[in-house]
Amino acid sequence: MNISYQWLKDYIEFDFTPEQLQDKLTFAGIEVEQVTKLGKELEQIKIAKIIEREKHPNADKLSICKVDDGTDIKQVVCGAPNCDAGKLVAYAPIGTKFPEFTIKKAKLRGVVSFGMLCSEKELGLSDNHDGIMELSEDAPIGKDLAAYYDFKDTVYEVEITPNRPDLLGLTGVARDLSALLNTNLKLPRISFKESEKETNSFLKIDNQNPEKCLRYTARIITDIKVKESPEWLKRRLMASEINTINNVVDITNFVLMETGHPLHAFDYDKVSGHEIIIRNAKKGEKLLALNDKEYILDEHDLVIADAEKPIALAGIIGGKNSCVDSNTKNIVIESANFLYSTVRKTSRRLKIFTDAGYNFERGMSSEQTRIASDRAAQLLLENVGGSLLKNILDNYPVKEEKAKIKIRTERVEKILSVKIPAEKIAEYMTALGLELIEKTDKDLTFLAPYNRKDLTREIDLIEEIIRLYGYNNIPSKKEHKPIMDRKKFYLKRNIKDYLVNNGFNEVINWSFGNPEDVEKLKLNFADKDFVKIKNPMWSTFSIMRPSLIPDLMKNAEHNINHNQKNVKIFELAKCFNLSDKGIEEDYFCTGLLIGDQADIYWKDKTGKVNFYDVKGLVIGLLEIAKYGKLTLETSKDEIYIPGVNANIILNKQKIGSFGEIDPKIAEQYSIKESAFIFEININKMMEFGRIKKIKFKEIPKAPFVNRDLSFIVPNSYSVGELTSCMLGINRNLIRDVILFDEYKGKGISDGFRSLSFNLTIGTGTKNLTDENLNNLFDKIIKELKKKFQIEMR
Amino acid sequence: MKKRLDEIVEEAITALNTFEDHHDLMNLKSRFVGKKSELMGFMKKLGSLPKEERPIFGQTINNAKNKILDKFNEIEEKLKNLEYEKKIASNKVDFSMPGRPPLRGNLHPLTQIWREIEDIFISMGFEVAEGFDIEDEFHNFDALNTPKDHPSRNLADTFYIGNDRLLRTQTSTVQIRVMENFEPPIKIISPGRCYRNDKPDASHSPAFHQVEALVVGEGVTFADLRDTLNGFVVKMFGSKIRSRFRPHFFPFTEPSAEIDIACVNCGGKGCNVCKHSGWLEMGGAGMVDPNVLDNLGIDSEKYTGFAFGLGIDRITMLKYNIPDIRLLFENDLRFLKQFK
Repeated sequence: MNISYQWLKDYIEFDFTPEQLQDKLTFAGIEVEQVTKLGKELEQIKIAKIIEREKHPNADKLSICKVDDGTDIKQVVCGAPNCDAGKLVAYAPIGTKFPEFTIKKAKLRGVVSFGMLCSEKELGLSDNHDGIMELSEDAPIGKDLAAYYDFKDTVYEVEITPNRPDLLGLTGVARDLSALLNTNLKLPRISFKESEKETNSFLKIDNQNPEKCLRYTARIITDIKVKESPEWLKRRLMASEINTINNVVDITNFVLMETGHPLHAFDYDKVSGHEIIIRNAKKGEKLLALNDKEYILDEHDLVIADAEKPIALAGIIGGKNSCVDSNTKNIVIESANFLYSTVRKTSRRLKIFTDAGYNFERGMSSEQTRIASDRAAQLLLENVGGSLLKNILDNYPVKEEKAKIKIRTERVEKILSVKIPAEKIAEYMTALGLELIEKTDKDLTFLAPYNRKDLTREIDLIEEIIRLYGYNNIPSKKEHKPIMDRKKFYLKRNIKDYLVNNGFNEVINWSFGNPEDVEKLKLNFADKDFVKIKNPMWSTFSIMRPSLIPDLMKNAEHNINHNQKNVKIFELAKCFNLSDKGIEEDYFCTGLLIGDQADIYWKDKTGKVNFYDVKGLVIGLLEIAKYGKLTLETSKDEIYIPGVNANIILNKQKIGSFGEIDPKIAEQYSIKESAFIFEININKMMEFGRIKKIKFKEIPKAPFVNRDLSFIVPNSYSVGELTSCMLGINRNLIRDVILFDEYKGKGISDGFRSLSFNLTIGTGTKNLTDENLNNLFDKIIKELKKKFQIEMR
Repeated sequence: MKKRLDEIVEEAITALNTFEDHHDLMNLKSRFVGKKSELMGFMKKLGSLPKEERPIFGQTINNAKNKILDKFNEIEEKLKNLEYEKKIASNKVDFSMPGRPPLRGNLHPLTQIWREIEDIFISMGFEVAEGFDIEDEFHNFDALNTPKDHPSRNLADTFYIGNDRLLRTQTSTVQIRVMENFEPPIKIISPGRCYRNDKPDASHSPAFHQVEALVVGEGVTFADLRDTLNGFVVKMFGSKIRSRFRPHFFPFTEPSAEIDIACVNCGGKGCNVCKHSGWLEMGGAGMVDPNVLDNLGIDSEKYTGFAFGLGIDRITMLKYNIPDIRLLFENDLRFLKQFK
C-alpha cells in the first residue's frame, strides 16, 4: 500500500518531517519498504510560452518552436501536433532529470533543440500522451510546475502485515499513529442530505447467500454528471499510484484509500429489473469484467447479479455491462462485506488481483460498510452533484459483535517485566479505539473495535501495550556475563581433533614430574622454576610437571619396548611453572613423532617422518587456530640437534618450538630412530596471536596460470629468501611461489643445490599473453641472478 | 564398369568381415575408399565420360562407396564395443585389497567421554567453567564448609604445595570462584583434574577427573536437581537406566545425597560389575548449604542452588568396561587404538 504524507496529514495532527514520519511508521509496526519523493521532477519543469512555431525543414511531423521560459527564449524541436504559438506549455530545460533519462542538447534532423516540451504522461501526471500538456492562460510563465500545482509529497510504500487489515485505510493508520504519538485524530465529519424519494421504491436487494455475503448496502444517487475529477482528488489518487478514471470511480477509490473498505458503483439504468441479487454463479456463466477480460464462472463464485445476468464478481471486480461511463445519469453505490475465503478462492482461481479483492481477502468488518457508504455519499454529493435517495438499503443478516477481552495488570508485568498502571493501560487501549467496560483492582475489560479482528485475547492486548510503550523502552534485566571461555574451550577441542586427523593418538599422563627427567632431557628449567610438592607420593613425583616432553618420551619408550615402533602421540594438558608472577598453569600441546610417516600400504612405500613433516603440522595447527603469520627462528634448546630445529614466533614472542631430538638424548629412552617433537604453549599462543579476520575476495574472472622455474643456487641462500624475492617482483601478478623440488649431488657442484619452483601467475581480470609471461620471467631471472647468483638449468 | 564396382564392394565386405584389429581396419578403409583406391580411380575418370552419363555413373560409384563405408562403420562400432568390454574386464579390482589408510589417530577414551559429558550439559543450557589445579585452602576447604580439623585436610589425603597451597581435591573450587565473581542465575559444570594422596590400584589414582555441576537461582529446588541428574543419566547411559538418591553427608550441601544408577552392565539384576547389588555409585549431590551461599555474598533467602559431582574416569570405565583405572594412564598404543 502507498501512504501519502500529505494525505495522511488530513487525518492526524503532527509536525514531523517526512523522514521522522518514516521512523514513526516503522516503530508502529508498519514496515516502510520504499520512500518516493513526488514533485522532484516537476520542480525542474518550467511554465513557458510558445512564441513562434515553424515547420521543420527536414521532417514533416516536427516543428521548431521558440519558447519563452521567463528568462530567455529557447529553440525547441517538438513532435506534438498541438505545439501552437501562444500556448502555455511545460518546458523541460537542458539538464532536467527524468527517472530514465536526462535532457541534453540534441540535434533533431539537423536542427538543434534546447530542451523538451512535455506531455502529461511524460510528467507522470496522467496517461495522456496525445500531445504536449497545455496549461491555462493565466499560468505564470517561468514558475516551476511543482510550485504551480502545490505538488510536493512523500509517498511510503508500506507492508501491512496480514493480521492488520484495519491499516489498509489511511484512517486506520492515523488511528494507530495517534495512539503511538499521543496526538489528535481528525476523522472526517460526515453529513449529507437525502431527498424525499425512498430508495426501496427504486431498487430491491435479494441476498441469497447470507453465509458468503455478510452485509450488503446500496444507495442511489440520481441526476449526476460524470466527468473528470477535480485537481485535489486527482492529486491524492496519483500520489497513491491509483489511476484516475472519472469523478464517480475516483471517489469510490478515494474512500477505499481512506477507510480501507472497497466500494463499487453501478450504472443504475443498466441494472436490469432494478434488482440486485447476491447469489452463487451458475456453472458456465460468463462475465466480461472491467479489465476487458471475459471470465467463465462456476458455482463456487459469488456474483452480484441483476434480474438477468451477473453484473459483478462479489468483492473482486465489476462487470463491463453495468459500469459507470460518461453517459451515466444515475448510480447505485454498493458497500458490502464478503466472506474472505470466498473472495480468495475466486480471485486465485480466475487470477484476478484487485485492491478490493486484496482487502476483502484479509477480512473486512461488516460495520465498516456503513461508514464507507456514508462517506462516499457525502463526497459524491459534494463533487459530482445529483440527489441522494432516502434511506439506505441494508441487508445485514447477522450483526457483528465486538470482542470482549479481559486483561490482568499482573499478567502484563509478567510478560513485559515492566509494571504498567491500569490507568495507562486504559489510556493506550482507548487511543486504539477500544472501549473500557469494566474495571476491578486486578483487571480491565475492553471491547475491541470492529475492525480490529486481530484483538481477541489478553496476549493480543499486551502486544498492543508494548507496541505503544515502545519495544526498546523495556529495560534490560540483567546483562549476560559469560562464564565460559568459549574461545579457549573450542580451540583445545579443535587442536586435538586436528592432530587426531593427522594420525596422532592422544595420551593422558598424571601431572607429576621428576627433576631428573628435566635434566636428562636438557630442558630449560632450573630448580627455582619447579612447583614442588611438599608431600609427594614418591620421590620421582616430587614436582608438578613443567613440560609434557618427559612423559611423552616415557610413553614412547613403553611402546617401543612393546614392539610398537611407529609412535605418533600428543598430549594437551597443563604444565606448571614458578615465575616472578607466582605459579603459572599454562596449557601445552606437545607431540612426538617416531618411525613411518604413514601406515603400511601395498601401493606406495611410506617414508620416515622428517623435519618438514613436523613443520607442516605446526603451521597447520596455527592455521586451524586461525592465528595469522608465524615466523621461525633457530632454537637454542639443547634437546634438539643443532640445525634441525626452530622456535615458533608469533608477534615477536616465542610460543613454542619443534625439531629433531638429539640422538644422545633419545637413546636414554631406548629410542634409536630419528625422533621429532613439537611443543606449543596454548596460553601464550592465545595471548600473542591475533586471530585472522577472514574476508571474502572476489573469485578471479580470468584463471591464473602455472609455470615452473628451475635453477642452481649456492646453499647459503634460503628458500624463504628466494620465495619472497620472487613474490616481491610483482605482487599483483605473482600470486604464489611453491617449491616443488630440491636436488643436491651428481651434476651439481658442492655447496650448491638445484631448486624448482612452481609459480601461480595472473591478474585475475584478464588473460596473460605469452609475451606478458616471457617478459615477467625475464625480469624474475634477471633479479635472481643479480641477488642470488643463480644459474639456470 | 558396374560389374567391377559390384566386385569391389563384395571384395571389400569380405575383407572387412575378416579384419584383425583397428590398425587393420584403417588399412582396409584406405585400400577400398582411400584416395588411391580403384573406386576413387573411377571417380577421377568421370570427367572423361559424356556429360549426360556422368550423373548416373557418379551415382553408381557413390552407392558403392556408401555400401563399403556403412559396412566399415558397422565393423568399427563393433570393434569399439569389443575394446570397451576388454578394458572393463581388465580393470576389475579386488576389493578385498586394503584401501589407502587415512592418517587418523584417535582421542583418548577419557577425552571422548569427557566431551560427551560436556556436550550433554551444554545442550541442557550449562556453561563450562575452568579453574586452577593448584588452589588455596580457602577455595578447596573453607569456602566449602569443611571443618578445620576435617581428616580430608591431612597430608595423608591431600598434596600440598608449600604451606597454604594444595592440589585441589575436587572441582568444587571452581564453583566457589564462579560464585565469587558472578551473580545468579548461575548454571555451570566444571570438569577437571583432581588429586588425592591415594596409592594407585585398580580403582584409585592420585590424579583423577571429575565433573561438578552447580545451579544457583531463584526457585531452584531438589526436584530440579533430580531432574537434571536423571536427564544426564538417560542421555549418557540410555533411557532404561534409572537413578536413585541415598541420604549422605557432604559439608558443602544440605540435604546431601549419594547418587546411584542402575548397573549399566546387568541393568539392575546383579552382576560382578555392581557386586551383585544392581546399583553403581556415581557421585554425590545435594542442595548448596545456605552457609556456603551467604559466605560468598549470595542471599540464601532469595537464591537456592544445587550441586553434584561425578567421576569422569569411572563413567569411562563403565562405558567401555575397563577393569583397571591405571590402564587409562599407561598410554599403551594397543590400548589407545581400541577406541577409534
